[in-house]
Amino acid sequence: MGFLAPWFLAGGLAAGLPIYLHLLRRHRTTPLPFSSLMFFERRTQSSIKHRRLRYLLLLAFRLAVILLIALAFANPFIERSAAAMAGEKLDLLVIDDSFSMRAGTRLADAKRDALAFLDARKPGERAQVMSLGSQVHVLTEPTQDTGVLRSAVDSVEPGDTRGSFGSLSSALRSMGETVHTPIELHLFSDMQRSAMPASFTEMSLPGNVTVVLHPEAKAPEANWTVESVSAPGEVFDPKKSRVQAVISGYHTPDAKKTVSLVVNGKTVATQSVNVPANGRASVEFTSLDVPYGLARCEVRIDSGDTLPADDSSLFAVKRSDPRKVLFVYEPDDSRSPLYFRAALAAAAESAFNLETVTVDRVANVQPTGHDFVVLSDVASLPASFEASLDNYVKLGGSVLIAAGTSAARHPRIPIFGDNITGTLYYSREGARFQTVGDSDPSYPSVEKAGHLAGVKFYFAVRVASPDARVAARLTDQTPLLMEKKIGEGRVLLFASGFDNLTNDFPLHPVFIPFIDQTARYLSGMETRVGSRMVDSFLELRTAKEQSVGVEVVDPDGKRPLSLKEAVTAQSFQLTRAGFYQLRLASGRQDLVGVNADRRESDLDVIPRDVLALWTGNTSNTDQQAATPGAVTQDQKKPYSLWWYAVLLLLVATLAESLLSSQYLTMSREEP
Amino acid sequence: MQRFLDPKVLAGISGLDLVAKTVVDGFVAGLHRSPDFGFSQEFAEYRAYSPGDDLRHVDWNVFARTERAYLKRYRGETNTLLTILLDASSSMSFASSGVSKMDYARYLAASIFYLTIQSQRDAAGLIVFDDEVRSYVRASTRQGQLYRLLSSLENAQPRARTDYAKPMLHFQNFLRKRGLVVVISDFFDSPEKIVHTIEPLRYHGNEVVLFHILDPHELKPELNEAVLLVDMETQESLEVTPEYGREEYRNRVNSHVADLQNRTRGAGMDYHLFVTDHPLDGALREYLSLRQGRQ
Repeated sequence: MGFLAPWFLAGGLAAGLPIYLHLLRRHRTTPLPFSSLMFFERRTQSSIKHRRLRYLLLLAFRLAVILLIALAFANPFIERSAAAMAGEKLDLLVIDDSFSMRAGTRLADAKRDALAFLDARKPGERAQVMSLGSQVHVLTEPTQDTGVLRSAVDSVEPGDTRGSFGSLSSALRSMGETVHTPIELHLFSDMQRSAMPASFTEMSLPGNVTVVLHPEAKAPEANWTVESVSAPGEVFDPKKSRVQAVISGYHTPDAKKTVSLVVNGKTVATQSVNVPANGRASVEFTSLDVPYGLARCEVRIDSGDTLPADDSSLFAVKRSDPRKVLFVYEPDDSRSPLYFRAALAAAAESAFNLETVTVDRVANVQPTGHDFVVLSDVASLPASFEASLDNYVKLGGSVLIAAGTSAARHPRIPIFGDNITGTLYYSREGARFQTVGDSDPSYPSVEKAGHLAGVKFYFAVRVASPDARVAARLTDQTPLLMEKKIGEGRVLLFASGFDNLTNDFPLHPVFIPFIDQTARYLSGMETRVGSRMVDSFLELRTAKEQSVGVEVVDPDGKRPLSLKEAVTAQSFQLTRAGFYQLRLASGRQDLVGVNADRRESDLDVIPRDVLALWTGNTSNTDQQAATPGAVTQDQKKPYSLWWYAVLLLLVATLAESLLSSQYLTMSREEP
Repeated sequence: MQRFLDPKVLAGISGLDLVAKTVVDGFVAGLHRSPDFGFSQEFAEYRAYSPGDDLRHVDWNVFARTERAYLKRYRGETNTLLTILLDASSSMSFASSGVSKMDYARYLAASIFYLTIQSQRDAAGLIVFDDEVRSYVRASTRQGQLYRLLSSLENAQPRARTDYAKPMLHFQNFLRKRGLVVVISDFFDSPEKIVHTIEPLRYHGNEVVLFHILDPHELKPELNEAVLLVDMETQESLEVTPEYGREEYRNRVNSHVADLQNRTRGAGMDYHLFVTDHPLDGALREYLSLRQGRQ
């Protein structure tokens, strides 16, 4: 027996206090003279003796409380041999079902070894079965029933998640807080290097856990994979849409691989690529001709390796028509449409079809049918167009107005409806220019545009609009970007121009995301992502879409959400590779291609010395692996008695409290 | 000596209605009734003449009317003889507060002496005893008797144990005239034995009164924890629990007092219990009221 903190035993000296109080101090009482003892009897002495005995009992409890406190702080332990503790130990069988275990016969080997271990263990020993992916899944409770344990092992299926020994260690640390008997961990895994956490300290295990490894892979295996695919989520022009794929080889020689682009099960394009040894190669398909609607696409290679599951990468694409945008400008302004068109084409992947019209020809143009309308520094609008545009906005249309020097000639901003209270020529003043001072980070146009940092404004109009939302202001507090809701639609006012004269905004890189986000915002188009990774979370609803049912169909065609979860779940974790069909709370139908984490494709194994360091045994790792079920270390291990000390302390404290409260009641004088 | 004549005590006694009336009416001759019939002012009865009777006591008026000789008898009134037997054993020195039982007994005896000698002109005597007779002052009305009694009281210090047999025997030897005998003690003995020892005093025609002096803590001991009690007379020690002191002891001491009172009165003696935290004048008042009631 030993103590982890023996200095705390000095606290046991405090036991002298109750001894002093009970024995020494009490015996110093002087005899009390009394006139006659004729009414007292000798038999009262028994009461005194009885009381003294009870006082001694109270003293014993108080001594026990103090000594147990000191003992608990000293953290006592006894050294018990592993053989002696075998009767109490728990065999914890953890079977790795991560994506890499699909390679070859790894998972089948692991299950076979686990069943062999169960058959070889002594009768009466408790065991528990878990599976390990990105998280630990408990398949059984600790039990001696071999049938239950065997069926749990048989039920382990190959998964698509990434293995994490860090999660396993974390789970064991949590388990060690409640289970104080020895735990013998049997890990049936391919010991993949990528399953190691970033820091080795995350793999630390509690003292009562002994690790026995059952490696199912001895050496790294060659494996080719489609590492990544870059494809648009939404296709508007098939000829302008491109698909790029990266083919990687791990522990592979030089090889020529055939890469195919498959759409809805049909191969639409094929390319050959030379993949260097242990290297990468890129492939680009210059067109993505998919039918209208949602399409299931994948990039596939013919690898011929032991892990065919990572030979394809899935993604979903939605084919749509481009959105129409009407751009109205002054005849003498050739810069604005140029910059706006260039920015829109660069950012929105041909999602918008820009129709430019000068203001003198716009009278016969109907805004209806356009997703939004841009008025770029227009001095005045034809009355008929202004009326139809006004009606268009009230019915739900959107308008972006840029107010430059031409617009400043008139006192009122058309459609927006508010008056210009001043024109600000900063180039004529001492400051020469203004920059953006405050901006609303939640506003979509400003959010991804870096808050328009560094843009110099030489001219701006000042519009007083108390009912408009201001998204950005210049440093002199002049509102730069304002939004006003009119009817069912919205009007966005930019208090300067897009012509590179009133500011240098079109020359800044932030102009592109500004135009992109503004266009998407005004047209109501959302950014779509066609592929995701296993273990990522899918947002099912926004804060405004509560209590609306969603639907998720997994790759097996099953609905993993219960009816209650379909109404309340905010997000959904993607645990399988394949295509998920979604009906989101907004009512939008969607399709997502889910792929396994490509770090699982690297079948490199953890070095033997690292494994030995983890198991705490640097000499006989191979021996352990060769003799499953054998006791790993015959050396003595410390077995903490802290819990027992605390339990006894609790009992002694309760007994002392009850006894002393009883004495207090007896000593109280009657009224 | 002055403490026995404490003006407060005297004022308390002098303030009694009974005492004032007695003083006015000639307390010396009237307060105590003589056990003999005499020939004084107060008519008692007629008795037929028998040969040998003194002819001076024949009521000739009755003889003239009835021709029969009757003697006219009157109630005799004499000065009484008071003797106080004071227990001065060690147990009398017990005091839970400022006044010990011995002090209280001294005050009580001194007050009675003062009342008896100064107001009633009665003879008073004192026997101080424990297991022996320690001092004896013969009952007398001589000049300076009060001061002799008070001096003897003052010199009486508690010691030794109580034994009623010897002082009673001594008293019987010296007592020649009948009178009032007051025994002041804590009576820590068997009631049967006490009554048996004191009862013979009555056979000589004395009136016997027992003044039982007890400390309040002797009636209701207050023990907060188990204590070691030492008997003041025998020096025996005993450890006692508070529960015993609260319950059984009180029952036993109350039973003792009741038993003593019953046996005393059953034997034709008077009994009164004085607790040392009670006012002394109140005790005297109660005693004198009791005496008045018996007359």
